[in-house]
Amino acid sequence: MNAPRSITDYLEQLRTALRGADPALIQDALYDAEEHLRSELAEQPERSEAAMLEHVVSSYGAPDEVAEIYRDQEIKIQRAIRPPAQPPRRSLAGRFFGVAADPRTYASLFYMLLSLATGIFYFTWVVTGLSLSVGLSVLIIGLPFIVLFFGSVRVLSLVEGRLVEAMLGMRMPRRPVYPTTGMTLMQRIGRMFTDVHTWTTLCYMWLMLPLGIVYFTLAVTLLSMSVTFIAAPLLLLFHSDWLPGFYVDHQVTVDWGFGAHAPNWADAIGMCAFGIVLLFTTLHVARGVGRMHGLIAKHMLVPRTDG
Amino acid sequence: MDDNTSHLKKFQKELSSGTVSLVLLAVLGQSRQPMYGYQIAKRLEEVGEGVLAGKQSALYPVLRNLEGAGLLGSEIEPSVSGPPRRYYRITKPGREVLREWVAAWNATRDSVDNVLQGGVS
Repeated sequence: MNAPRSITDYLEQLRTALRGADPALIQDALYDAEEHLRSELAEQPERSEAAMLEHVVSSYGAPDEVAEIYRDQEIKIQRAIRPPAQPPRRSLAGRFFGVAADPRTYASLFYMLLSLATGIFYFTWVVTGLSLSVGLSVLIIGLPFIVLFFGSVRVLSLVEGRLVEAMLGMRMPRRPVYPTTGMTLMQRIGRMFTDVHTWTTLCYMWLMLPLGIVYFTLAVTLLSMSVTFIAAPLLLLFHSDWLPGFYVDHQVTVDWGFGAHAPNWADAIGMCAFGIVLLFTTLHVARGVGRMHGLIAKHMLVPRTDG
Repeated sequence: MDDNTSHLKKFQKELSSGTVSLVLLAVLGQSRQPMYGYQIAKRLEEVGEGVLAGKQSALYPVLRNLEGAGLLGSEIEPSVSGPPRRYYRITKPGREVLREWVAAWNATRDSVDNVLQGGVS
C-alpha cells in the first residue's frame, strides 16, 4: 500500500482497510481520523500534508493499523456494553418462557411504546420542513432554510441512532457523517442533496409515524388483553351492579361462541392460562419487532460503505 | 534482535491496552478544562513513551466507551480545522471510579515491584 500523501488518501485507505466491518463503526473511525488529522494539520500550518502524514502514521497509526485497532476495540466495547447473553435453553418451554429473562425484551417493548411519540415528532418535522423548504425555495431565505433543515435531519438521525442502539442493541454510528473538506461550501450543500443517505433518512423519519402507530397499538392491545385475561379469576369474586350492563343478574358472563353463560372456575382458569401464554407471546413479538426495527434503522440511517 | 524488539512491542501493547482507560480518566481528572481527543493524545505524547506504546487512534473508541459508561461527559464545539470537536470532562462517578482504579493500580504495581525485587520468599 502506498503511503498516503493527503488526508483524503488516508481516509480512503482507512475505508478500504475497514471493508467488511460494521458500517456504523466505519463511520465512527473515519470521523475520529479526520478530527485527529485536521487538528494535527492545524497545529503546524507550514508543514505539508504529506510531511504531516509521515508523522501521523507513526503516532496515530497507519490506516491498516487503525483498522485493526478499531476492530479489536469494537469487540471489547461490545462485550462491555451488551448484557451477558442468556444461556441457550434446550427445551421448548425454556425457549418460550425464557424470553422474560432477556432484558432486551423489555427495552424493545419500551421502544414500541416510545416510538409513537418519536414517530409523530419525526413525521411532523420532516413534513413541515420539506413543505417550507419547497415553499421558501423561491425566496432568498429559502436556501439557508433548506440547508438548516437538512442539517437538523442529520442530527435527528444521530439521536435516533443512539435510541436504537440503547434499546434495540443494533450497532449505530456514534459520530456524524462529515464530508471531506476539499469541497467548496456549494459543493458540500450539493452533496447533501445528492447523497442517497439523506433521502433514506428522510424516508425513515416519514415512515416512523405509521410504524410507531403499529408498534404502539400492538404493544398496548396485546398487553391489555394479556393482563385482562390473567385477571379473569378475580372477576368471579365480584357480585355487584357497579357497572350497568357489565353484569347480568349480578354476575359477569362469558361467551365462547355457544351462548352466554355464567363462568365457573374452569372458565376463569382457562382464560387465565390463555392470558399467560398471550403475555409471553407478546414478549416474543416485542423482541422480534425490536430486531426487525433495528435492521430497518440500520439500513436507512447508516450510509453504505461505498457511498 | 528482531525477536527481542517484537516481544517488547507485544508487551508494551498489552500494557498500554490494559491501562489506557485509567490513563485517560487520570488526564481528564487533572485537567481544569475539558479536552478533545487530539489534545489528550498530545498530552500523553509529552508525558512519555511507555503510556503511548500503542497508537493514538486507540484513544477515541475508549473515550466513547467511558462516556457511554457515564464516567465522562462531553459536549460538541465547532472547529475551524475540520469536523466539530467533542470535548470530554470527567464526571463525579468518573472521579470515584478513578480513585478505585488508582488504588487497584498502586496495589498491582507494588506487588509486581515486590516480585521483581525478589521479595517472594
